[in-house]
Amino acid sequence: MNEKTSQKDLETLSDDKSLNESNRRDFFKKTAAFSMTALAGTSLLSATDALADDPAIMHHVPWGQKLGDPVTKNRYGIPSAYEHNNLRRNTKLLASGNFQASIAVCPIHESEGIITPNGLFFSRSHGGTAHIDPNMFRLMIHGLVDKEIVLTLDQLKRYPSVTRTHFVECPANGGQEWRGPQFNSLQFAKGFMSSAEWTGVYIKTILADLGIKPEARWMLAEGSDNSEMGRTVPIDKVLDDAMIVWGQNGEALRPEQGYPVRLLLPGWEGNLCVKWLKRLEFASEPFYCKEETAKYTALKPSGKAVQHFYANEVNSTVVSPSPEKPWTDLKVGDLVEIEGLAWSGMGTITGVDLSFDGGKNYVEAHLKGLVLPKSWTRWSFMYRYEGKPLLLTSRAMDDAGYIQPTVDEETAIMGVESVYHRNGVETWEVTAEGKVNHVQIRS
Amino acid sequence: MFRLDRKLIISATALTAAALFTAGCVKGDSTAGPGKASYENGKATIDGALYYPVVDGKTGPYLVNTQEQSGFTYGRTPTANEIAAWDKDVMPDGTGLPEGSGSVEEGEEIYEAQCVMCHGDFGSGGGGYPALAQGNAYEGQKTLTNQRTTPDKDGPIRVFGTYWPQASTMWWYIQSGMPHPKTKSLSNDETYALTAYMLNLNQMEIDGELVDDDYVLDREKFLKIKMPNEKGFEPNIDGPTALEDVRAYYNVPENFGAQKVKPSERCMTDCQKETAKVATIQNGGIADFLPPISIVRDLPVEEGEAVAGKDDYESSCAVCHVDSSMGAPAVGDKAAWEKLKEKGVDAILANAINGFGGMPPRGGTDLSDAKMKDAVDYMINASK
Repeated sequence: MNEKTSQKDLETLSDDKSLNESNRRDFFKKTAAFSMTALAGTSLLSATDALADDPAIMHHVPWGQKLGDPVTKNRYGIPSAYEHNNLRRNTKLLASGNFQASIAVCPIHESEGIITPNGLFFSRSHGGTAHIDPNMFRLMIHGLVDKEIVLTLDQLKRYPSVTRTHFVECPANGGQEWRGPQFNSLQFAKGFMSSAEWTGVYIKTILADLGIKPEARWMLAEGSDNSEMGRTVPIDKVLDDAMIVWGQNGEALRPEQGYPVRLLLPGWEGNLCVKWLKRLEFASEPFYCKEETAKYTALKPSGKAVQHFYANEVNSTVVSPSPEKPWTDLKVGDLVEIEGLAWSGMGTITGVDLSFDGGKNYVEAHLKGLVLPKSWTRWSFMYRYEGKPLLLTSRAMDDAGYIQPTVDEETAIMGVESVYHRNGVETWEVTAEGKVNHVQIRS
Repeated sequence: MFRLDRKLIISATALTAAALFTAGCVKGDSTAGPGKASYENGKATIDGALYYPVVDGKTGPYLVNTQEQSGFTYGRTPTANEIAAWDKDVMPDGTGLPEGSGSVEEGEEIYEAQCVMCHGDFGSGGGGYPALAQGNAYEGQKTLTNQRTTPDKDGPIRVFGTYWPQASTMWWYIQSGMPHPKTKSLSNDETYALTAYMLNLNQMEIDGELVDDDYVLDREKFLKIKMPNEKGFEPNIDGPTALEDVRAYYNVPENFGAQKVKPSERCMTDCQKETAKVATIQNGGIADFLPPISIVRDLPVEEGEAVAGKDDYESSCAVCHVDSSMGAPAVGDKAAWEKLKEKGVDAILANAINGFGGMPPRGGTDLSDAKMKDAVDYMINASK
């Protein structure tokens, strides 16, 4: 309510009584739709709440009386100093020895909409963030093509561009929790991903001129960083929606995302979207790169491991509430939005179900905003807070026909050693006090 | 409307670029949305996902420019030397594997000088860095069916010898990505020597012969390596049927733990077994978050002025000196640094510059003498 009172209104207030009246009128107007039962349960009408004058309203604020920064300050804008806790975070346990071969995860508990700001996009590398001189950038396309080619960055960017919104997810997102919940944090439990609007060129557009030899089945994509991170991509994806991208949310890629150019394979494992890209080689046989044999293979109970595990399956999480964003400030009777994210590398989100009892019974939640293929999708459910313990579980579906399995259903097939591609439903325990804890429902 | 036809482009060698584009309409299928489970050529998608063809000028929700998009004139043909300079991948059939040789003995020497500080004695791992061997590879391979379903059970051993399907990956990895602080610095012979040492640590055989301490590895012998877990992966990705095999695999959800259900048939009520229980985080879980989690919106505490050497320490030295797990004196360990200081601060700097014990010269960095001094001073000051 307080934010809604404009400065102009404030100046016309003559005494405490009128402020009080104004607040009360405002309140009843806004709560007209409340049921009588709910109203009876609220404590919003307590005398103390209504009578206390808010110093934030009653006094002039320092920024209101002095000049602000000139427009010449911060030629490249930065977040408010008050947002300093909205950060990528890491933990020593998610590092291969050092913070160069490691991951910093995205604060998705603070995320808004379906786009991650570039400075908060999760960052995973195998040999540190490379800083590439764009003037020295070359992209070589060779092997089983009719015409081999080298492009400079300017030449690459002359190709017709397409712009697409896609999430990029590390397949180890949630991979620490096959044997039980580990992180009491949304950022660490589900933040191995981020989303951006990417701009680049379809590889098939370039290949239309180069021509692929009939025996070409695979494409090696290789980076120029310390680790020369490489992955083998099947030709099907190359000729579908694979892109070479240079734009991220309206500006150049950030170094952490592969500046100046990365591969983007919509919906597929983040590590396949090779950063600091320098080379595409077409071949008839796969390359057996280090990161598709030492890592990114999913061991099953049979002792066989899934290799070339491409698309991130349908998944979802409750974002609010979450361990970082609890309900400890809510009062019984408050109407609150339960909000979440759903995503699928297999297609477009078609629906999300929400359970209040850990997945025993579900109701349909509502999708909201843009619903795009292989993209984060926001969902919402309005809930009248009752102050009692809950087990919040979300379950998403996509248009390819997939639905999130339960934890039991997924481990029954994949066991507990597969590390990657865990998309079983996630559950938050909400305590009677409104605290939120990460749990799993297992039989 | 023009679209790129995937079947045509694959067999496009004799065709002109313009012929790669063909006018056509995409027939809608019975599903409601614009996505399809197969490509234009009728083949199932490679990943079990949907394909969004261009229909009426749109792919999914995105409008596209349907004007002809081919005949671009950008770029140039790379020279043979340029391709050779970048085409360094090594494939299982030996493509890209150069001639050369190296012995287990030489490999151990290089390992002790350049690798042990991260990968530990005899490839045992440490400080989070991967182990390179864990006993006999053939025995270890048998642990891959292990599942840690209860805390007392041993997990599967996933190291080079027990798990990796191809040895070519290791040769390529060492030469392109190792040693971690100074990659692409090893000669072909050194790479053979290190690979030989890896095989030795994993107690592996080549062509029936144990890679013992006297073994000398060369290209010919390398190509005879059979990894114990070569057949341990699915789907098949080798040979002419590979793409068909991958398509078939990912079109069976059970193969990879996915689940399909008709929306009208999904469970909405009473979906759980009687035995369903709430599993909570045990023993505090993982919580050493950097920085600690906070959603407070206040003004940040003012950082002090930049401390000389701190940035270089954090980006280059902390890798080994952050704690004692690498065998290096840990920053903050007063006793360890007091002992070092007995030799004098100049001696510490000289050792840091020239290398000492497991530490390569300058810790494998390109830092100047002055920067090295700042970093060393920072570490000494932070350990008082």
